[in-house]
Amino acid sequence: MPTLIIDNQSVTVPEGTNVLEAAQQLGIVVPHFCYHEALGAVGACRLCAMLFIDGPVKGMQMSCMVEAKDGMVVSTEAPEAVAYRGQVIEWLMLNHPHDCPVCDEGGECQLQDMTVASGHSVRRYTGKKRTYLNQDLGPFIHHEMNRCIQCYRCVRTYQDYCGGTDYGVLGSNQRLYFGRFQDGPLESPFAGNLIDLCPTGVLTNKPYRFTSRFWDLQEAPSVCPHCSLGCATIPGARFRELQRVRSGNNPEVNGCFICDRGRFGYDYVNHLDRPRTPLLHGEEIPWSEALETLLQRLKKLIECHGSDSIALLGSGRASLEANYLLQRLSEQLGSAAPVYGSHAGRDRAARVATTLPTELSASLADVRNSDLILLTGADPLAEGPMLALAIRQAVRKGARVMICDPRPVELPCSAEYLACQPQELLQLLSALFQGETLPIKLQPLAEALQQAQRPVLIGGGDLLGAEGNTALLAAAQKLNREERPCLAMVLLPEANSFGAALLAADGPDFEQLLADMASGRIKALLCLEADPLTDCPDRQHLLQGLEQLNFLVVLDHLPSLIAAKADLLLPTTALAEGAGTLINNEGRMLAFTPAFSPGEPLRITGQGNHPPRSFSTTTPGALPCQAWAVLAELCDLPVDLAKIQRDLATQEPRLAGLPDLLAEGSGQLIQSADKPLAQPQARRTDQVDALQLLVCETLYGSELLSAHSAPLDPVRPQPYLLLHELDADRLGIAADDLVRLSAGEIQLTLPAQLSDRMAAGIVIVPRLRRTELESFYPGQPSQPCRVEKVSAP
Amino acid sequence: MNLWRDIKGTFQPFWVTLRYLFKRPVTISYPEQKRTPPPRYRARMILTRDPEGEERCVACHLCSAACPVDCISMQAAEREDGRRQAAWFRINFARCIYCGLCAEACPTMAIQMSPEYELGNRDPLKLVWEKEDLLVDHGGKDPNYHFYRHSGIGVAAPRGGNDDELPPVNIKTNLP
Repeated sequence: MPTLIIDNQSVTVPEGTNVLEAAQQLGIVVPHFCYHEALGAVGACRLCAMLFIDGPVKGMQMSCMVEAKDGMVVSTEAPEAVAYRGQVIEWLMLNHPHDCPVCDEGGECQLQDMTVASGHSVRRYTGKKRTYLNQDLGPFIHHEMNRCIQCYRCVRTYQDYCGGTDYGVLGSNQRLYFGRFQDGPLESPFAGNLIDLCPTGVLTNKPYRFTSRFWDLQEAPSVCPHCSLGCATIPGARFRELQRVRSGNNPEVNGCFICDRGRFGYDYVNHLDRPRTPLLHGEEIPWSEALETLLQRLKKLIECHGSDSIALLGSGRASLEANYLLQRLSEQLGSAAPVYGSHAGRDRAARVATTLPTELSASLADVRNSDLILLTGADPLAEGPMLALAIRQAVRKGARVMICDPRPVELPCSAEYLACQPQELLQLLSALFQGETLPIKLQPLAEALQQAQRPVLIGGGDLLGAEGNTALLAAAQKLNREERPCLAMVLLPEANSFGAALLAADGPDFEQLLADMASGRIKALLCLEADPLTDCPDRQHLLQGLEQLNFLVVLDHLPSLIAAKADLLLPTTALAEGAGTLINNEGRMLAFTPAFSPGEPLRITGQGNHPPRSFSTTTPGALPCQAWAVLAELCDLPVDLAKIQRDLATQEPRLAGLPDLLAEGSGQLIQSADKPLAQPQARRTDQVDALQLLVCETLYGSELLSAHSAPLDPVRPQPYLLLHELDADRLGIAADDLVRLSAGEIQLTLPAQLSDRMAAGIVIVPRLRRTELESFYPGQPSQPCRVEKVSAP
Repeated sequence: MNLWRDIKGTFQPFWVTLRYLFKRPVTISYPEQKRTPPPRYRARMILTRDPEGEERCVACHLCSAACPVDCISMQAAEREDGRRQAAWFRINFARCIYCGLCAEACPTMAIQMSPEYELGNRDPLKLVWEKEDLLVDHGGKDPNYHFYRHSGIGVAAPRGGNDDELPPVNIKTNLP
């Protein structure tokens, strides 16, 4: 732990820290461009120069390149250092186009800040400026090369950290160019991070282009709702519109980066058809009347049909507090415990995931530090994109990655792929648990597990199901030894799936609810940010059950299918408009805070022009309420989030830390369950001959919220069907041929794609919302299907 | 002498009044008579145009950031040719204190103070001026300034076409 003196202040830092980081620890603002906490230092921009007065090195040095050592005396304010930095800035500004007024980075531009800080204001050089032509980098990123200062941050972010290969540096000496070899969209699903990382306005946010200034945005620390990892984000809103999302910093989860789904999936908040007023049978009514009607109708139904006739449905989209209040409401009404999640299989899988002891659960930081990652039935890019980036960081440090999956799982790094049938995954995991020898083709995995020091087992809840998750957790526990920890992680479908499953505990699941609905016992259903019509695989029974209902209440902020059918629709706020807690797939409680208040975006009320020229005491479209507040009112509890959190913490000892949770910070792990992990059941698997249909999620288009986001429209894939080349040969199908897929009662014609990097005998279709593929549901056991070539007409 | 001071204090004001009775009055009978304010008088803002007749305002938000009473609001938009302009631009003169900080902050010389001071009105909404009301068809105090001719991002001139710019570099050449 070296101790050094910077600007007459003494600081002790861990071994290996550079002087720039040490100065930042003291709160000294040091100008820098190329250094970034996630990317490290390269000493390219020459801006963090300090004068080293005493110690092992002396003279003017780049502080990011000097490791802090005992006895160093450093000055950031020495006149030589200040003059040096001023000159560097003046050089960097030689070719700058001086277009800050029309640059989106203005206000949050590091170059702007550093230029002002160094005192440079007039361009003394009278020579001409170097210019470049720009490139079209796709729908997310706008390129303006004239603003570039050649700090190399973009290349280090894109190629080194994110593993993209299609963007880099070209040219030589005065012609350095940061771009692609040709115009075209950036291929990496993490390309959006270039926006955050570029210190000037070369790479800016295209959907946000010319929308707002940084200082006008209402921002608050929040959590990404687009997968179960719970990355820290900072949504920014203005004029009642969520305009952009940038990455927050949670060192235990996402670090400084987020994926493009999280960055550009925000637009569901501004959706035109979003419910904004309480509707009773399609007619607008005030909130007080709506709540009164709701309570009266429920009471009447309880009087006529008993308290069993009311069912409550929570979801992994709603916050922990709202889901908990649903429990309180059920207690108050005397009805059965709420059901969490409209997909029973996924619900059961998530419930298993909640049993994992805290010391065995892997955070993304643990994944980044592991040396062997085993992916069983998990497709990180589709089910939790930032996991793929965490895996890449592990690989950069020398980790091995083994993928056992029927799907062609792609990662932004090298990995060993072992094609497995879905049932083989279960066998593999139970073999790991039993300590049996693995089949020959999995021998490399057995050897790797022998040698690994910090292995992490990662499973996908959709493919493994409850049974597979049980086996995965048991296997991790078995392999976990004191001298060699082995951690596990399960990917879940929704942001708060873990929290909902935790509350569900041993309660009923959606299948039981469906049976009750079909038998006509349930007369009223209250859906809390849940849409069984898009999530429940047993659609036929669901429709029958819904028809038998007397009263359907929906609390939601999406224009969902069930909201269109609701007798009483109560509009709730989106995540960025409210406060609450989510629990991510690791069991980490993450608090989010409201960035702005709901209201119809000015873009809509003004129809692109200026705000209406009229006075009003109310805001249009400002009626959505936070779901927990609505439920608190229904339960006749005080509308006080802190009190609800205290109640919840006393009721559920695993959530004891909830009242102390802070929005800024890395969240807090829940307590381990006090019961031992379930033992996996030995299961005999039958060999199947028919083609099996496997439905899986995709990066874009499968997740519900981002499916409502306009900025993601250009990247959403068209429906397709994926076949193994061997199967295609057998069936006489070539790539891009139209094929007819028959599974159960569904028949679809789709273009075929072929791959040799997947399990044979499997047909894969992506679950793409709002396309014909919406009728397939992930998280189900594979079902037999038929594929035949459509003969040309 | 206190008594002497009191007598002087009583009569001197009368003497001043009496003197002014025989001078020309300094007041004018506004509004029948109007005064011409000096050209640099700070009254109502205008949005000027560049030498090519295009709107100078690029909706950069600097005026609204500088405004101490928050009376300016706007929304930027991109024109088809890549020019950044205000989709709408609004000044609430009921709130404006005519401090001139917006004109000082304006990097494109778009917003300038004009000597027009007659804004009194009974309807507060008539004091909310939109872009169309604020736009004038001249360049104001510096008619020759053209922002896009100085900041090279290829809007008014093609990329690398401004006077102080070199043509775009050929990134695929190997020549030194």
